[in-house]
Order: sequence, then C-alpha cells, then structure tokens
Amino acid sequence: MTLTKGDEYKLLHLLLDMGEMMYCSGGEVRRVENTISLMGKAYGAVETSVMVITASIIVTMKFADGNLVTETRRIASAGGNRLWRLERLNALSRKCCEEPLEIEQLEVEIKNCKEPMNLFKFCFGSSLAAGAFAVFFGGNIYDGIFAALVALLICFFQRKLSKIFPNNIIFNLVCSFVVGVLISLSAKFIPFINADMIMVGVIMLLIPGIAFTNSVRDVLVGDTISGIMRLIESLLWAAGLAIGFMLAIFLVGGIAI
Amino acid sequence: MNDMTTTQIIVQLITGMLGSLGFSLLFGLRKRYLVSAAFGGFLNWGLYLLGMHWWGSIFFAGLLASAASALYSEVMARVQKAPSTLFFITSVIPLIPGSTLYYACSNAVVSNWEQAKYFANRTLQYSLAIAAGACIIWAITFTIENVKRHKKSK
Repeated sequence: MTLTKGDEYKLLHLLLDMGEMMYCSGGEVRRVENTISLMGKAYGAVETSVMVITASIIVTMKFADGNLVTETRRIASAGGNRLWRLERLNALSRKCCEEPLEIEQLEVEIKNCKEPMNLFKFCFGSSLAAGAFAVFFGGNIYDGIFAALVALLICFFQRKLSKIFPNNIIFNLVCSFVVGVLISLSAKFIPFINADMIMVGVIMLLIPGIAFTNSVRDVLVGDTISGIMRLIESLLWAAGLAIGFMLAIFLVGGIAI
Repeated sequence: MNDMTTTQIIVQLITGMLGSLGFSLLFGLRKRYLVSAAFGGFLNWGLYLLGMHWWGSIFFAGLLASAASALYSEVMARVQKAPSTLFFITSVIPLIPGSTLYYACSNAVVSNWEQAKYFANRTLQYSLAIAAGACIIWAITFTIENVKRHKKSK
C-alpha cells in the first residue's frame, strides 16, 4: 500500500491513538510496541521504532520513499482495566496486518473500539466479585450481600469521582476511607454482619491487580523503566488503599478484629 | 488452612469462580470468554488448595497456582485468539492477597504488631508467588516465541 505524505502523518497519529488506548486499557508495553511496529510494517513503513514508557509514547516511522515521520504522545493516566478495548484493538490489528484497511476506514474502526463501558456489566460484575470474595474469605451470606451493595457505591465513586482527584493514590485513599467508615458503622448497628469480611470483599475491587501483574511482566521482558514505574505506582495505590482503611478503622474504633 | 472442611473447600471453589466471573464482567470481557475466565478462577484456587495440602506453604502453593494460571491463559489466548492478559488477570484473581492485606492493616491500627507482621508476611508471600509463578511460564513462552521468529526470519 502506498501512502501520500498527508496519509503518512494521519496513519502515524492513528497508530498513536491505538497505542495509547491499548496502554490505558491494561495492555503491556511489549504488546503496545509490537502492535505499533506490526501495523507500521503492514502499511509499508520500512522502519518503525517505538518507545513506550509509562508517561509517553514516541514513534518514528520511515517509509519507502524516504519520508520520516515522528510523533510523541503524553499519556496522562495509565493502568486502566477496560480489557474489552484491548481485546477489540488486538483483533483490529490482527485484521490490519493481514489486509490493511484504508486510512479513513481505520480511523472509524479505532473510534469503534473506544466503546464506552457497559454500565450494567460494570456494576453487576463489581457486586458479584465483592459479594463472592466476602464469602470466599469466610463471611456469611449477609456479608456477601452487604459487600455487593457497597460495591455499587464504589462503582459510583469510580465513575463519577475518580476524575476530580489529582491521582489514583488519593482516590484510593478517600474511597477506602469512606467505604471503611460506612462498613464499620453499619456493622455496629447490624449485629449479623462482620465488618472485616465485608471490607475484605470490597478491597478486592480496589487492589491494583492489573497494574501489578503488568508491571512484573514488563520488567521480565526487558521494559525495565516502564515496569518499575508501574510497579511503584501500583504499590503506592495499594498503600493508599491500606491507609484509607486503617484511618477508617481507627476512627470508628473498637470493631471486632 | 489445612484443617478446612469439605464444605469450606466447596464454598471457596464456587465463590472463587464467581469472583473471577465478576471481575471478567467488570473488565468487560465478551460473553464467549466468560466461561474460560471463570474456569480459570476455579482452576487457580483448586490448585492452590491442592498445593497447600501437599506442601503447606503459601509461597509454593501460590507459585503452582499462578504458574498454572499463566499456562492456562497462554493456551486459551491461542485457542480463542485473544490477548493472554485477559485470561491471566481474571483467573489469578482469587490469589490476590486482599484479606491478608486487610488484616495486616487492621492489626497495625490497634498496635497488634505480632499479628500485623504475620499477615504482612503472608501478603508478601502471595504477591511474590503470583509474580514468580507467572514469570516462569512467561519466560518459557517468550523463549519459544523468539525461537519461532528466529526460524521464520532465516
């Protein structure tokens, strides 16, 4: 496929959109870098060099006619969990590598991948997960139900409030504090639920599991800088979570441990 | 942990599976991946319990479960043509040390340092086991991939 100069710039921009979306949806560095290089190759770039670190993506492509194009993208927030986007982008890149789409077509397809969260699935999944884990760690059925209800509150926080906090550490801290106070207080008034079991179930929703596993994976395959950055980030998120719960327990005080 | 009753084991296996299913919904996986993700959670916790039964060590049982999840996710990724992350993250969920992290904190708050240390230690063991188990499998699959690519380019 031969591209005009304008198309080359457009393609580069689209590839960065794709890379950014993948990275922010829970993709690993290696996957993003591979996808961008393979896509570049499919569209006729002779050389594609990609660098992804936690805060930015830099891509330079050289085309057969000798044109060099470069673009940099700043990534504001990595570490999402919108795995459905990752999956769709992956399928798209597989398709393009076999049979490159027209640039306009590609643009539409990438936009399509940006499908918003399915609210019902998100809330139902959170409730199911929190409820199941409250029982999993030894709670009774009421703990499970209560944890499922609290999970809905967390869904609300995650959707509405996560943007107003400067970063995820503060968000985790505030979120776990509010939820912790709520649970401890309710447990004082409702005799047949155990505060600790409910909190354990709810914690599972806030723990940065994806960021942690991806960071370990990044380090292992040699993307050390990004891996370490993400690892420290995810440990800090977990610390925020722990401190929030500690404050809540400390404040309400004297619940059975 | 070793003196669990059969009922407890069954409850844990089922809720572990439901937990994985919940997370796969939360992460927006498509319908056709849900069953494999839920089964991953079941497999993961089943192997962990088996490992605990054999060795009685969190680290080694976790290592076994995490490695099995990683292997399972690589296989499923090839069978279902989807990123392996999808399956790994959802199936390793029951191992994530939410409860021990919580108990470490709640004990620290009331200055019960012995217990806090005990649970912090366990939290660390789980996390290391997840990382190490997955690393073993990834190291092998990445090597195989590279060998394949090398052969192709020749």
